[in-house]
Parts: sequence; structure tokens; C-alpha cells
Amino acid sequence: MSSAQLEIQLIASLVAIACAIPGTFLVLRKMAMISDAISHSILPGIVVGFFITQDLNSPLLIVLAALTGVITVVLVEQIQKTGLVKEDTAIGLVFPALFSIGVIMIAKNANDVHLDVDAVLLGELAFAPFDRLLISGVDVGPKSLWIIGIILLITIGLLFAFFKELKLSTFDAGLAASLGFSPVAIHYGLMTVSSVTTVGAFDAVGAILVVALMIAPAASAYLLTTDLKKMLFLSMFFGVFSAISGYWVAHWLDASIAGSITTMLGLLFLVVYLFAPSKGLIAVMYREKQQKIEVSLLTFLLHLKNHTEENERHVNHLREHINWQKIRAKTVVDLALKNNMVTIDNHIVSLTKKGDEFTSQAIDYIITNEDAQIEDMKDDFFLFRG
Amino acid sequence: MLGSFAVLRKQSLLGDAISHAALPGIAIAFLLTGAKESNTLLLGALVSGLIGTFWIRGIITKTHLKSDTALGLILSLFFGFGMLLLTFIQKQPNANQAGLDKYLFGQAATLVESDVWLMAIVTGLCLIVLLLFWKEFKILLFDKDYANTLGFNTKTIDILITSFIVLAIVLGLQTVGVVLMSAMLLAPAAAARQWTNSLSMMVFLAALFGAFSGVFGTAISAAQNNLSTGPVIVIVASVFVMFSFIFSPNRGLLFRQIRFIKNRRDLELHKTLSFMFNIAKTHENISHPHTIKILNNFQGYTKGTLKKLVDKNYVTLNGNMWSLTQEGFETVSNLYNQQLKKDE
Repeated sequence: MSSAQLEIQLIASLVAIACAIPGTFLVLRKMAMISDAISHSILPGIVVGFFITQDLNSPLLIVLAALTGVITVVLVEQIQKTGLVKEDTAIGLVFPALFSIGVIMIAKNANDVHLDVDAVLLGELAFAPFDRLLISGVDVGPKSLWIIGIILLITIGLLFAFFKELKLSTFDAGLAASLGFSPVAIHYGLMTVSSVTTVGAFDAVGAILVVALMIAPAASAYLLTTDLKKMLFLSMFFGVFSAISGYWVAHWLDASIAGSITTMLGLLFLVVYLFAPSKGLIAVMYREKQQKIEVSLLTFLLHLKNHTEENERHVNHLREHINWQKIRAKTVVDLALKNNMVTIDNHIVSLTKKGDEFTSQAIDYIITNEDAQIEDMKDDFFLFRG
Repeated sequence: MLGSFAVLRKQSLLGDAISHAALPGIAIAFLLTGAKESNTLLLGALVSGLIGTFWIRGIITKTHLKSDTALGLILSLFFGFGMLLLTFIQKQPNANQAGLDKYLFGQAATLVESDVWLMAIVTGLCLIVLLLFWKEFKILLFDKDYANTLGFNTKTIDILITSFIVLAIVLGLQTVGVVLMSAMLLAPAAAARQWTNSLSMMVFLAALFGAFSGVFGTAISAAQNNLSTGPVIVIVASVFVMFSFIFSPNRGLLFRQIRFIKNRRDLELHKTLSFMFNIAKTHENISHPHTIKILNNFQGYTKGTLKKLVDKNYVTLNGNMWSLTQEGFETVSNLYNQQLKKDE
């Protein structure tokens, strides 16, 4: 592994961490699409900054771009406040307009300079190590490494300083306001950090990847945990993991690094989405199926309790009476048998004592709908477990 | 046109997500066929757009992630994957690959006649389906549960609308490109929404606005050199939206502000009048003159309001003195009564 490769991976990891922190909060605050809007609309800011300084890496560029990001947020909110359109429409209107202005500005004035839309949108990580920062003639590392490092330090500093406030205003804006924190200030602070991170990362990894790095790790982490701190750490870990593995995939395929990091993020999310222990697709489907069977079982038991006549309780009669398929009926009857809820005597199904008690309790619960009762039942029976 | 449905269904950003999600489809279609035949590429885009859409659905319904997260996620992931494939294609020894990235930003000038025909056909198809299923779409849009109880298969209709939105987006990609497609979908509809409350009017207006911004945008971009079509069209559409926001008669900001000011003036007028009434009440002759000075301490009073009262013949002025007319007196007492009634 050459030093350039190491540096690329280092930059990618730093970007991933820097994005994961604001990303987590954006996802929790249901503002994920804002990051997409910001990543597009910073373009005019960058262009204006570029006209002034003629240098793609000057700090002024970052400041201006961050400013445009905040302007985007303000515009979106203003449009939304008029009540004429919904928030998502407002976002969808603002950022393409700003982006178009940026594109036109580039097309009209900067056609012959090194600044094109592809570079802004897609970025090229592979070239990052060649753009070195020289301090009094000494090579101290790639420029983007320093930029993103500084941004990361600031972000982490802010995170530690305002963790409590952020947490509170994210989950209960009203309480935060009544305790004297200004949710508005926190909101704009977060927006500014997101804008700055987006800008700092864009020329290393491109705008789209920034969005992916902000949302995907946070979303994956959100599926795995409900603890804010754990979620932060998990999303950072996911970010770094896909950054490094994405780099090697790109190396192997000889394709865009940004693209392959995103693809790794996508795969990661897919895996989490399918296999997350309690919120994954498979777990959810399994649970839904379980519940369906359990509800069927309850229906079955209720039916038995309501009918004392023998002909109503004949195995075959049941099937046509509750209108179940053969397999489903068999599953339910087997389940009931296994739990000693019923006994089958000469094709006549009858409730056992246990089954009878259970059914009465269930009816009680259904009628009164009190939580205290279900707590007791959870211990006794498998039905309401989990 | 279809944008109207997207806006009303609060799925505005879906357009953005789909247009990004179409990219890997284009790339994969190219990888499989090795030719830059626009129909196959569009088919690929359509398929991957649909996959993206339904995955978004799946995420929203099956997990606790919110729609914005799902959209952003699919958008960036698909796009990133598409980029990976595109760069991978660029490394392949195939002369045909150039120009695939045209789909990213779009260039209406690169359209050839067959593309235009395809678009016309699809637009016609959209129109026919829209007319055929108008009632179903409308019911689904405003009251999904009702539609369900009426026995419509909401899922099928839902899928139908979504598929057409995806189709429209994929076709539009060639013209305005990935990034700006969402604006094309949204802006006309958002503008049209300001002018009307009726769905059919809105769809019609949206189509009109869309067509206008397309024509104007193309004209402007042709007049200037070095100006790509897509962004100009979007800016024209945005101007339409701004205009609608400000000037639409019922919902517009301008008229709302005017109404607001008018209401406030009315209120001040009433305040002054009732103040006068309270003074006049203490005298036997209601038209007993009073000096203007005593009004000075009163907040709602300005010279303008006094003049207006005179104009309405509620008050007569005589030098520095004012007096309430019979008409004015009656108006105020009624005003008072009305308020009392309302309070009850």
C-alpha cells in the first residue's frame, strides 16, 4: 500500500466520520432531504467564490458555499411558512433553481477554467493526494486532508459542547424551548455544520457521495439501535467501513472511488435492512406472520369457547366454519395442541383448563383493553410475548 | 401534468429520487447491450426507476425510517452505484460509451426526431390513461380509504400512477437531466396549484405552464450561446412559480398582504368609531361636538381614519371639532351588538 493509497483511505474515512455526525441528526429530525438540497445548491456559492478568488481550495469558497447552504434552508422555510406548498415541494423548488443558476454561471463565465459540474457533483478522490498543502515549502500532506480534518475537529468539538442541547431539541423541541435553549439556533447551527461539511467534502468525494455518507450510515444505524450515542458510533463505523472497503472495490474494478463507496454503503444498508434483528425486513415479516398465526389461534379458541355443541367442534366442521385453508387450520390446531390448550378426542376438539383460562383472559383484555392484564399474560402465554 | 399528482400526494421529492435512481438502469442497459440505443437505455432507466420507487415504498412501510430518509437514501445509493458503473464503462474498450453522461445533465439539442416521436407517443398515452382513470385517480388522491371502501383496487391504481410518473421522468431525463428533472415535475404543478382549487384546472394549467417554460427556456438558451437548455428551462419555471406565489388572486402573497392591511385598517376604523360612540353616548345630543384633541390619546386614531369616517358620513368635522352623525351612531351601536351576538 503506497502512501497515496493510505492518504486516500484516510481522507475517505475522515469524510465519512464528518458526514456521519450531522447525518445522524438530520435523519432523526426527518430532514434528510435537506442535505440533498444543500449539496446541490451550494454550487452558486462555490462559483461566486471561485470568481472572487480564482482558487478552488480557498477558505472563502467554503464560507460562501456554507452561506448558500444556509440560504437554501432559509428559503425553503420561508416558502413553507407561506403555507402555499408543502415542505418537500419547497425543497424540490428551491434547490434546482439555485443549482440552475450555478450551472448557468459556470457556462457563461467559467467555461475555460478548471471548474465543471461533473467535478462538483461527482468529485474525484483519486486526485486528492496530488493537491498538496505546502507550508513554507514543506509538504505536510494533501490539502483536502487538512480541510476535512479541520472541519471534523470543529464538528466533534461542537458535538461535545452541545450534545445535550442537540439531543433535547431533536427529540423534544418544545421542552428544549421551554428550558431556554433556542431550537432555532440549534437548527441553524446544525444546518451550518451540514453545509460546511458538504462543502469541505465535495471536492474530495462529490456532492452525491456526501448525501449518501450522511444518510446511509445513519439510516442503517437507526435500524439497529435506538440509543443516540450508539447510533452515532455505529454510523461512524459504517461510514469508515464502507469508505475503506469501497476504496478497495474501486481499486479492483478500476472505477470511481466515490461510486464504489456509495455502492458499499448501499450493500451495507441492504444487509441491515434485510437482517436487522428487530426492525429488519425479515424480522418484521416473520413477526407479522407470527402475529397472524397467533390471532388465528385466538380466533380458534374463542370459537371453541363459544360453542359447546359437539358438531360445532368437529375438526372438519371447524375448517369450513372459520373458513380457513387446510394447511392454516392444521398449523393452528397443532399449535394449540402443543401448548396444551386443546385436546382432540375422536375428532372433537375441546378446550383444556389452561386453554379456557387463557381464552377468558384474552376476552377480558379485548374488552377492557387494559395494559396491566396483558402484562400478566405475557408471563403465562407465548401469544403476547415480544 | 403528472406532477400535479405528485405535488398533491406529498411525494414531490420522489421525482428527484427517481431521476437519480434511473442512472444505474441506463448504465446496466448499456453494459448488457453494448449499444447506445436510446430505447433500450430508457427501458433500463424505467426498470431501475421503478425498483427504486418500490424500494422506497418498502422502506417506508416496513421500517420506522421516514420517507425523507428513504428518498435520500435510495437517491444517493442508486446514483452512486450508477456512477460506479459509468466509470467502469468508461474503462471498457468500447467506442460507443461517449455521451452516456449526457443523461446526467441533459441536452435538448441532442434529441433526434425519433426521440421526439417517442415522447409524443408516451405523452399521448399518459393523456389517455389519465382521462380513462380520471375518477379513480381523483378519489385515490383525496380520500384513499373511501376509494378502498368503494371497491377500487387502490394498489393497482397507485402503481399505475407511480409508473406513469416514473415514465415521464425517465423521458424527461434526456431533456433537462437528472438534477433538474424534479423541478420540471414540481414547478409547473406548484405554480398551477396557486391559481385554482380544482384538480382538472390544475392539471391543465400545470401542462400549460410546463409547456410555456419549455418553449421560453429553449428560446432563451438558443438565443444566447453557451447556455444549456435544462437550467434555463428550470429557471423560467421557477420564475413562473415565484410569480404565482406573489400574484395569484386567492392564495398569493401580495393579495394576502393587501387583505391583511385592509382588515387592520377596518379594525382601527371600528376602534375609533366605538371610542367616539362611547363619548357621544354620555351626551344627550349624539351630535354634540367634541374637540379632536381628546382623540389624540387614543391608539387607533389617525388623521386618515378620521377622514375615512367623514367620507363614510359617520362623522362631521367642524374646524377642530367633530361630532357623530345619526348614521354613524347607529352603525356603531349595531357593530357593538353584532359583536355581542358573536360572543354569545
